[in-house]
Amino acid sequence: MVEAVDDKLILEIDGKEVRVPFGTLILDAAKEVDVTIPTFCYQARLSGIGSCRMCIVEIEGQKKLQPACITPVMDGMKIATNSETVVSARRSMLEFLLSNHAKDCPVCDKAGECELQDMVYSHGQRKSKFEEKKISLHVKDYIISPVIIKNSNRCVQCVRCVRVCREVVGRGVLGSVGRGAYQEETSFRKGELDCDSCGMCIEVCPVGCFMRLPYRYKARPWDLKSAISVCPYCATGCKTTLQERDGEVVRSIAFKGLGFNDWLMCARGRFGYDILNSDKRLTKPLRKKGDGFEEISWSEAMGMISAEFAKTSPEKRGGVATASLPNEELFFFQKLMREAMGTPNLDSTSRWSGDTAGAYMAATAINEGGRTIYKAVNSDTVFVLGTQLSEENPVIDYIVRHVTDSGRSNLVIVSPRAMKLDATAHQSLRHTPGELAKFLNALILCLYEGDAGGLASLEEVGLSSKVSIAELAKLAGVTVDELRQLSMRLKRSETISILAGTDILKLDQGARGLRLLKLALEAMGKRLRILPILDRANQRGAWGMGVHPSLGPGFSPLSDDEKGLDCYGMLEAAAAGEMDLMYVIGEDIAGMYPDRAFAEDALSKVGFLIVQETFMTDTALKADLILPGALAGEKTGTFTNQVGRVQNLAPIQSPPGGARIDLDIMGDIASTVSKGFMDDGCTDIFGCIQKVVPSYLNIDNKSTGKDCGSVISTDVSLEAFFNVAESPGAVPTEEYPLRLITGNHLFYSGNLSSYSDILGSLLKEPVAEVGPETAKALGLEDGQNINVASEGYLDSFRLKISKGTPAGVVFIAENYEDKPINRFFKRGETIPLVKITS
Amino acid sequence: MAVEKILLHNVDKPNSHKLDTYLAGGGYEDLRKALAMGRDDLVQLVKDSGLRGRGGAGFPAGLKWSFIPKDPSLQKYLCCNADEGEPGTFKDRIIIEKDPHLLIEGMAITCHAINSDKSYIYIRGEFEYGAQILEQAIEEAYEKGYLGKNIMGTDFSLDMYVHRGYGAYICGEETALLESIEGYRGQPRKKPPFPALAGLNGKPTVINNVESLACIPGIIRKGSKWFANMGPEKSPGPKLFCVSGHIEKPGVYELPMGTTGREIIYEVCGGIKAGRKFKAVIPGGVTAPMLVEKDLDLSMDFDTMAQAGSMLGSGAVIVMDDTTCMVRTSYIINRFFSHESCGKCTPCREGTIWMTQILERMENGEGRPGDVEELERLCDNIFGRTFCPLGDGAVMALRGCLKHFREEFVYHVENGRCMVKGGF
Ligand SMILES: Cc1cc2nc3c(=O)[nH]c(=O)nc-3n(C[C@H](O)[C@H](O)[C@H](O)COP(=O)(O)O)c2cc1C
Ligand code: SF4
Ligand code: SF4
Ligand code: SF4
Ligand code: FES
Repeated sequence: MVEAVDDKLILEIDGKEVRVPFGTLILDAAKEVDVTIPTFCYQARLSGIGSCRMCIVEIEGQKKLQPACITPVMDGMKIATNSETVVSARRSMLEFLLSNHAKDCPVCDKAGECELQDMVYSHGQRKSKFEEKKISLHVKDYIISPVIIKNSNRCVQCVRCVRVCREVVGRGVLGSVGRGAYQEETSFRKGELDCDSCGMCIEVCPVGCFMRLPYRYKARPWDLKSAISVCPYCATGCKTTLQERDGEVVRSIAFKGLGFNDWLMCARGRFGYDILNSDKRLTKPLRKKGDGFEEISWSEAMGMISAEFAKTSPEKRGGVATASLPNEELFFFQKLMREAMGTPNLDSTSRWSGDTAGAYMAATAINEGGRTIYKAVNSDTVFVLGTQLSEENPVIDYIVRHVTDSGRSNLVIVSPRAMKLDATAHQSLRHTPGELAKFLNALILCLYEGDAGGLASLEEVGLSSKVSIAELAKLAGVTVDELRQLSMRLKRSETISILAGTDILKLDQGARGLRLLKLALEAMGKRLRILPILDRANQRGAWGMGVHPSLGPGFSPLSDDEKGLDCYGMLEAAAAGEMDLMYVIGEDIAGMYPDRAFAEDALSKVGFLIVQETFMTDTALKADLILPGALAGEKTGTFTNQVGRVQNLAPIQSPPGGARIDLDIMGDIASTVSKGFMDDGCTDIFGCIQKVVPSYLNIDNKSTGKDCGSVISTDVSLEAFFNVAESPGAVPTEEYPLRLITGNHLFYSGNLSSYSDILGSLLKEPVAEVGPETAKALGLEDGQNINVASEGYLDSFRLKISKGTPAGVVFIAENYEDKPINRFFKRGETIPLVKITS
Repeated sequence: MAVEKILLHNVDKPNSHKLDTYLAGGGYEDLRKALAMGRDDLVQLVKDSGLRGRGGAGFPAGLKWSFIPKDPSLQKYLCCNADEGEPGTFKDRIIIEKDPHLLIEGMAITCHAINSDKSYIYIRGEFEYGAQILEQAIEEAYEKGYLGKNIMGTDFSLDMYVHRGYGAYICGEETALLESIEGYRGQPRKKPPFPALAGLNGKPTVINNVESLACIPGIIRKGSKWFANMGPEKSPGPKLFCVSGHIEKPGVYELPMGTTGREIIYEVCGGIKAGRKFKAVIPGGVTAPMLVEKDLDLSMDFDTMAQAGSMLGSGAVIVMDDTTCMVRTSYIINRFFSHESCGKCTPCREGTIWMTQILERMENGEGRPGDVEELERLCDNIFGRTFCPLGDGAVMALRGCLKHFREEFVYHVENGRCMVKGGF
C-alpha cells in the first residue's frame, strides 16, 4: 500500500503514478496523466449517472469493471484503462449501442460532428454481429417545438438531454418514457413543448436525436465557415460561433471550452442569429420624401448631412448611439459628437435618464474593474435584486442555479414578479413594483436592529430611520418576518454577491438604497461584490467609452459646463423646437422611450433627424435621412460584458447590399462635418481608447477567439450621482388599481430580437401576466383575451396566470411587434397604472 | 415435517388480517417489549439473531440497521420492500394479505431501533387487495394507538404510509424503489452513497423486505438464540419457501433455513406432479441459476446455494419436470428480463433484448448456426458490466440453463424443434 502524502491519494493509472485529492473521480484523475477515457453519459456539469458504461475500467483486485465517471479513486488503486478486457468491453458497449441504432448517417444532420461516429471510429469494431430486427420507436422524425425536431431511433440513452433541462436550465420538461430498449427521451406525451426553447437539449445530445429544426438539412459541418462572435442580446456576453454556408448564416452555436459560457446559451443566443439573413434589412440610404422614402447614394447622403449640418448650432445638436455597438464605434461616436459636431449632448439609451444611469454605475461600482462571473457568484449568499434574471439574462440564471445546487451558496431573490429561479432559491421575496427604495431601507433597518450606534453612522450618509420597519415593509409589500429572515441570512454570510439589475435603472429607484446597503453590510465586516446585470450587450462598454452626457471616457466626470443633455433632455428640447439635428444609431427611441406619444412628437420636431439603423424601426420612420448600418456578425470590435470582460467580435459576413459598417459611416460623417477631424493620427481606435480609458490598458483586443481580458479599476468617483432624486413610485387608484411592469422576455431583448423570425415563431401572441390572486379577483382565466388600459391607452393581450406573481401587478414584455407598450407610459412616470377588462 | 410456525402463525385463522385476531394471538406485545429496550440493545439483539435479509441478497439485517447515523436531528426512514417482483415469489403477499399486523409490528420495532418516525410500505402495483388490507390494518393500528403519536405512552411516534408501485420489476431494487417513492422514474441510483447514509429524500434509510421485517417480533419474543439456533449457523431462522411449478402441492411453506431441496419437493410438497421425473429446480426466483438432481441434497441457505453457483434469492422454488423445454424456459425468463430492463445502462438495455430475440428465433425453429455461441458471447459482454444486478441476473439465469442443458439449445438450432417430448 502506498502512503498518502499532503492529503493526496496516490494511485496508478496505466502504470503512471497520479496524486489527487480525496473524492477525485477516476476519470478526472486519468486526465491528470493525459489518459483519456471515452465517455457518453458523463458531462462535467451534470449529475453523474454512470449508465452508458463506455468509461468502464479495470481496477486491480475488483472483479467487475467500474465506471470511471462516477467512481472516486482510492489510495493505492491500480487502474487499467486500456487492458484487453477494457478494450473489448468498450467495443461491446458500442456494439450494443449500435444494435438498435438507426444507422442512417447519410440523412442525419449530426453526421460529421457525432460523438457516436467518432467513438465507433476510435474504439469500435468494424462489423457488428447483430442480425435481429431493430426496434424502431417511431417512423418519422417528429417536431416537439418550433426549434426542435426529434429522432429517437439514434438515441444512445445518455439522458444528457433530460438532465440538462432539469439541472442546468431548470425547466425539467423532458423525461424518459418507456422502458428497456423502448426507453425514449422526449417531451411529455411526445407533445409540443411549452419551454424555454433554449436548445440546451440539442447542444448536449451526442447524436442526431435532438436536432435544430431551423438547421434541418441545411449543411454538413465540413461545409460550414465559422466566425467567433458575441451574442448581441444581453450583457451576459456569451461567446457564440456563427456558421454560414453559401452566404446564409445557418446556426449560432456555443462550443465547449470557448468563453466563460462554454456550451451554455439561451434561446436568443442560439436562435436569434437569423436577423443576419433577414430580408427586412435596410440596404440603401433613404431620404424622406412625402410620406415615404426614396433611395439615394451614399455621396448624396453625405451631401445632405453636410448641407443640413451647416444650418445647425452646436448646443442644438445631439446624438444617441445604442449600447449594442462595439466599444470602438461607441468611442468614436462620442468623439464625433463632442469634437467634430461640437456638442455635449449624447447618450446610449432612451430608456432612462443620464443621472439614473450615473447613480446605478456608482451603486454597482462599475468603475472598480471587472470580475469573472463564476468567481463573482461564488459567495455564501447570492442576492438577486432588481432583475428578472431568468428571462433577462438566462445564462446567468443557469450559472446561479449551478452554484446554488452544488450547495455552495444561499440564493435570495428580491423581485416584483415570479421567475424560474425561484424554484432554486432559498428565499424569494416579492416587493411592490416601484417600492424598491422602501424595501432596501427596511432591510437595512432590520440588519441594524438593536445597533443604535451603527444606525446613527448610516444616518450620516443618508439612511432614513424615521419610518418604522413595519410601515416600510407594508409599503414595500413584504412582511417583517420575510425581512428578518433575509437579514438573518445576510448576517450569517461572510461573502455576499448582489446581482443588481436594470429595474433600478428603468424604475429610477434603488441605487441609493443599494449604496446604503453596501455601506451597511461592509460596516458589518461582510465582503461584498455587486454585479451589474444589464440587458444591452455593450452597456458597460458604452458607459466606459463616455457615451454619457456627464461622463467622459473612462467614467471621468465632466465639469458642469462640459455636461450635455441626455436622451430625455434632447427629446424635451426637440419637443420645444430646440433640436436642430439628431444623430441616432441603433436606438429605437420611439419604441423604447417611456411615453411613445411624446417621443414620436418630439422626434418629428427635430430639425434634421439622421437615423442609422439595420431595420426600419419606428424611429427610422421619423427620420429625414436613414443610413443602413451593420449588425454584430458583420463587423469587428469588442464588447465589454456586464462584469467587465472584454471580448472580440469577428464578422461572418459583410453588411447586405449598400449597408455599411457603422464605424465607416461615422468616419465619413466626421470628415464631412469637420474637415481635418480624421487627421489626428488616431488610426488604431483601440489604441486611442487605451490612451484615454486606463481601465482598458491591459486588454489585448487582437486576441481572436480567446479572451481579451477584463477591465481594471479606474480612479474616479461617481459619488455625486447619489445626490439626484429618485422616482417616488406609484399609488394605484380605484379606477386603475394595477401596477404595470415591463421588461425583456426570454425570447426578446431589445428591438433587434423582434426581427428574428425564429424567435418570433416561439411566441406568437403577446401576453399579459398576472398572479393567481389578481386573476381570481377579476374572474379571469388563463389564456383568455383581455384588455389592458391605462388612462391614455388600451390594447388587448392573452392572459397568462403566473404563480408567484403578487396581487396588483401586471407584466407585459417589451418588444412585441405591434404592441407598443410604451404607449401605456406617460412621461415622468415609471410605473403606469392600468386596469384589466375582459 | 412439522415445525412451529412463527411467520405463518396467524394466517389460517378466520379474519386473520384483523387487529382483534392479531391481538388475541399476543400481537403488539413484542412492540411493547421492544419499546422498553434501548435502541443499541435492539440492534444488537437482531445482529445476534443472525437474521439475513429475505429480499434476495441476504444482507445481515442488524448490521444494516447499525449503519444508520445516530444523530437525533436527522430525519430517518424505514422503507418496507413489498414489491415482490421476482417471478415465482409469492411469500410476502401471504403476510401482507393474511397477517398485515405482523408486518406493521415488525416495522414499528425496526423504526424504534433506528429512531425513525416515518415509514413506507412500497407495495407492488398489482397487489391491489394487499394494499387495501394494509391500509385498513394501518388505520386500525392508528385507532388503537399502535401507530401515530406517543405509541403506548412512550415518546416514540411513527407514521406509516402505503405507496403503491406501478408495475416495474426494477422498483424492487432498493434504490429504484426510493426514486419511485420520491416520484421519479424507477431506476437504480449509483452507490455510494448507500441508502443508510443518503436514502429517501437524501436521508438515512433502511430498506427491508416484508419477510425480514416479519421476523422481528419473533426475535423479540423468543430471543436471538432461538433464531440463531434454527438452521445453519451463518444463515439461520425460519424461512418462507414458495414452491411452484411441476409439483403436487405448490404453496408457501415455513421451514427452517437449511431444509434441502429434496425434503421440500418430496416430503413437504408431495413430489413431482403426476409422478413424472424431476429435471431441474430454480431455488430462489428466476434470477437464481437452476440446480439439477445432484444438487437436491444441498442445504437451502444463502451460503450453500452460492457455493453451488446459484442463490437462495427470495426462496422461490420453481420445480421443472422432464417435459420442460429449456430453450422455451430460457426464452420466457429472458423475455421477462428484457421487458423489465429499466433502460438505464447499455449492456442490460440492449443486451437482454438481443438475447431474447435470438432465443425467440430458436424457440420458433428459426435458430441459426452460431446462435448458441452468440448467446454465450452476449452473456460475457453483459455480465459484470451492468449498472445494477438485474442485467447480471438475466445472464445468470441463462448461463445456469446453458451449463446443464446446452445440448437442448444446439438441438433446437440444428433441428428447428424441441428434443423434449410433451413440452411444458
Ligand atoms: C432487480 C432487483 C429486484 C428486486 N426486487 C425485490 C423485491 O421485489 N422485493 C425485495 O424485497 N427485494 C428485492 N430486491 C432486493 C432489494 O434490492 C434489497 O436488497 C432488499 O429489499 C433488502 O431487503 P432485505 O435486506 O430485508 O432483504 C431486488 C433487487 C434487484 C436487483
Ligand atoms: S429547449 Fe431548453 S427548456 Fe426546452 S426542452 Fe430543451 S433544454 Fe429544456
Ligand atoms: S436524445 Fe440524445 S441526449 Fe437524450 S438520451 Fe438520447 S442520445 Fe442522449
Ligand atoms: S442492469 Fe441497467 S438497464 Fe438493467 S435494470 Fe439495472 S440499471 Fe436498468
Ligand atoms: S461515461 Fe461513465 S458510464 Fe457513461
